[in-house]
Amino acid sequence: MSDTTRPGSQVEPHREYTVVSGEWQDLPDAVPEDLMIINMGPQHPSTHGVLRMVLTLDGETVVDNQPVIGYLHTGIEKNAEYRPWVLGVTFVTRMDYLSPLFNELGYCMAVERLLGIADEVPERAQAIRVILTELNRVSSHLVWLATSGMELGAVSAMIYGFRERETILDLLEFVTGLRMNHAYIRPGGVSQDVPTDFADRVRQVLVDMPKRIDELEDLLSQNPIWLERNVGVGILDAEECLDLGVTGPMLRSAGVAHDLRKAAPYCGIEQYDFDVPTADTSDAYGRYVVRIAEMRESLRIVEQALDRLPEGPVMVADKKIAWPAQLGLGPDGLGNTKAYVDRIMGQSMEALIHHFKLVTEGFVVPPGQVYTALESPRGELGYHVTSDGTNKPYRVRVRDPSYIHIGTLPHLTRGLLISDVIAAVASIDPVMGGVDR
Amino acid sequence: MSDNPRMSHPDSAAGERAHIIEDAIVAQLSEELAAVRDRIVAAYPDLQVAGFRGELTLVAQPAQVPEVLRFCRDDPAVSCELLADLSGVHWPGGTFRRPAQETTGWPAYAETVEHGRIEIDYILYSVTHNHRLRVRVFLPDEDPTIASVTPLYASADMMEREAYDFFGVDFQGHPNLTRVLMPDDWEGHPHRKDYPLGGVDVQYKGATIPPPDQRQY
Repeated sequence: MSDTTRPGSQVEPHREYTVVSGEWQDLPDAVPEDLMIINMGPQHPSTHGVLRMVLTLDGETVVDNQPVIGYLHTGIEKNAEYRPWVLGVTFVTRMDYLSPLFNELGYCMAVERLLGIADEVPERAQAIRVILTELNRVSSHLVWLATSGMELGAVSAMIYGFRERETILDLLEFVTGLRMNHAYIRPGGVSQDVPTDFADRVRQVLVDMPKRIDELEDLLSQNPIWLERNVGVGILDAEECLDLGVTGPMLRSAGVAHDLRKAAPYCGIEQYDFDVPTADTSDAYGRYVVRIAEMRESLRIVEQALDRLPEGPVMVADKKIAWPAQLGLGPDGLGNTKAYVDRIMGQSMEALIHHFKLVTEGFVVPPGQVYTALESPRGELGYHVTSDGTNKPYRVRVRDPSYIHIGTLPHLTRGLLISDVIAAVASIDPVMGGVDR
Repeated sequence: MSDNPRMSHPDSAAGERAHIIEDAIVAQLSEELAAVRDRIVAAYPDLQVAGFRGELTLVAQPAQVPEVLRFCRDDPAVSCELLADLSGVHWPGGTFRRPAQETTGWPAYAETVEHGRIEIDYILYSVTHNHRLRVRVFLPDEDPTIASVTPLYASADMMEREAYDFFGVDFQGHPNLTRVLMPDDWEGHPHRKDYPLGGVDVQYKGATIPPPDQRQY
């Protein structure tokens, strides 16, 4: 890293104003003299979706910054209370749209723990979960890189980032049928096994992706403009991070090697060999360094998981939880495996009834509460799920890291110039779909 | 007797559902978590311990909360640096008909709860010792009031605003207790159970499906 002493927050703001507005200072709730309130967002392309920031400015220096959120509020937590447990997956996958598989996984882990079947999920399903979520982490970080590049004017970075992400989305589409909103991970396992040439396609990504990450690094890591814009911006040291509830790459950029994949491993991720990258700069550039290194670590995990991918079922054996149908492509391009249809339609009326009841009513979850957390690309993604013993969740509360991180904005941006606010917000990597839930 | 813990408990109709749900299974705690529990309970003997699936929950009185959380944060053996989450669940008052369930064999029964309660869970996490625990309080749902923990954890700021927004809990001493996800002039608190979901019929090829809150799943 260069030892750029960048101006940024140290510059004295200009005290002379050439444009004097008339009336706003006379309004009853006008801010103190010389200060000005500017709304940034919610449609500003640099505010990561529908985030609005109410900036109180002294010249061009930020005195205060209050985030205003809630423009997306999708009511997912409330809606989930009215649907059977398994449909919760189709809701939560829509929250944090850059890391849908992590949302699904977190929810399913909570349901599995409530059901008491957390240890019974087959190894193959666990390995598939790890492969897909780690690929999802790479694609999420690539979007972060792309969008923050765009916000700082590096449009090439944006184009490259989105282009590389496509390869991973293609792969996810190949496995789950959808680019996003997969609903692929289900309580008890995954909805269906991976296609036959899955391993080959993942290996192709594993060959290509490191080169592409290298390319992005070549473009940015020593780029003087990138350094000027990121070094020393949005500083949040370890103590502040913990006090503000910050987790994930932001916390690791402050030198705390805390990663739930190491601290509280899930899905057998403890079997794989990987490192937790950290930086000691606590600033936006540190977060860039951490995320780039994390992408490489994720690819390492994927490679190991692919090598060890065990054979076997991808859903728990309990027929009261697992949907009996294994979807397959019929001759008409839709439908179900012929053998299965033959069996339920021709041979076993019981199986048909059972399937019907399981699809319409769902399964019953014992009463209780659990909190499961996993390391999403943005930090600790927690699911606090309550069951009252029926076939629907009583309450699903999501601890989304972006929401907590948005709360740090005032601390993060006080004293910065407006243009640095953009870099600071970008370094958080907030996803408003997760914030507004 | 069925194996529903709620049914087998002698006081199952006394509005103590949340306790009962978790009482039965306290024994599953890991050794480290049991040590943490003993440490906290030694300092605050009137905390009730609950647990489920190996997770530790301590039920506190509302007035104790700042004190208990301060202990959990500052005590070197507990040392919960992160307030990972602040979550709420509404348990309304009234009579509830619980349908019979074929899959578990539970019979139908009715349950009467005198006073509705709002449960607030403070989910604490120790980065140093790598353990997680919950401190839980119950507040009356007519007038839920509790001291804010923003002086202890800055992260409580946004989380308490959300709990205020969704449950109407008045966190006293919070610097800026305003709605956060709903518009400022919104009426009602959407995550209370008596708040309607709303919705319209869904039409498809002439058939009509009722809105989600009226569907018979």
